[in-house]
Amino acid sequence: MKSILFLITLFAFALPASSAGFSVSVDQRSDAVSAQLKGDNSYHAHLARELSDIAIEEKSQHDIDVAKAFMDLAEEHAAKAGGAK
Amino acid sequence: MMRRILIVLAAFSMSACAHNINIDRSELDGARAAIAAAKAAGAEQCAPKLQAQAVASLYWAAHELHETDYHPDENAELIAQAEAKAKAAHEKALPGCTVEIIKLKGVYFDTNSADLKPASVSTLNHAVDTLKRRSDISVEVAAHTDSHGSDAYNQALSDRRAASVKAYLESHGIAANRLSSKGYGETQPVASNATATGRATNRRVELRVLAQ
Repeated sequence: MKSILFLITLFAFALPASSAGFSVSVDQRSDAVSAQLKGDNSYHAHLARELSDIAIEEKSQHDIDVAKAFMDLAEEHAAKAGGAK
Repeated sequence: MMRRILIVLAAFSMSACAHNINIDRSELDGARAAIAAAKAAGAEQCAPKLQAQAVASLYWAAHELHETDYHPDENAELIAQAEAKAKAAHEKALPGCTVEIIKLKGVYFDTNSADLKPASVSTLNHAVDTLKRRSDISVEVAAHTDSHGSDAYNQALSDRRAASVKAYLESHGIAANRLSSKGYGETQPVASNATATGRATNRRVELRVLAQ
């Protein structure tokens, strides 16, 4: 029973992390968004940067899952900015 | 045992809900309405930074409202910030915020390609001159297709074509921070797609002047 509980717990915590991958940190993703949008002053570029800043703020409060959720949103809008896909 | 199961279920529940940023909550009605009104007035084009700050605040407020350790003062501040930014964006957009469009007549691409044809050089060089002369403006390079082909294909093609023109302008001395590019696919026709002439008119690239 202990093993099953352990596995379920692992699975539960793996869910939010899986969407962005384990290897790339929020900081790295934020840096990538900044680099991708350098010089882009469109609405989606601004929004991506704002959301990325929120992600960093949430991370500083040790709310990693929320930080990742905001980075997901930031990357979504970064992709819409400047025709990048 | 039941207690352990409950703890595990709670952990599962918390982790699964971490991505939930629900902006449809009733507490956000005012902010959502202000953002929608600003968008309708053209704020995304005319006041992009303010509008983006409003939307980001809305998302953040939505998350904070979802938090278990509820902080009403902070939430109210975020909601107020979203509304204030949206209203500022609205005000900036309202006074005749029709986006100035610089039409680029004579930009040609190979069929199903983002490669510029040599015949485009004259038009593009003229655009370079215009942007050098009007050094105070930033522009979005907007590319459009006709309706031939799937929506997704046309969107991707217009994205690439807009990026191609942006790259040309950059390579001819226009600062990258004055340029962005966006494909609109077949979503904004200016003529009927039922005729060859209309389709040719719809296949176009233009510069949208962004107020900064």
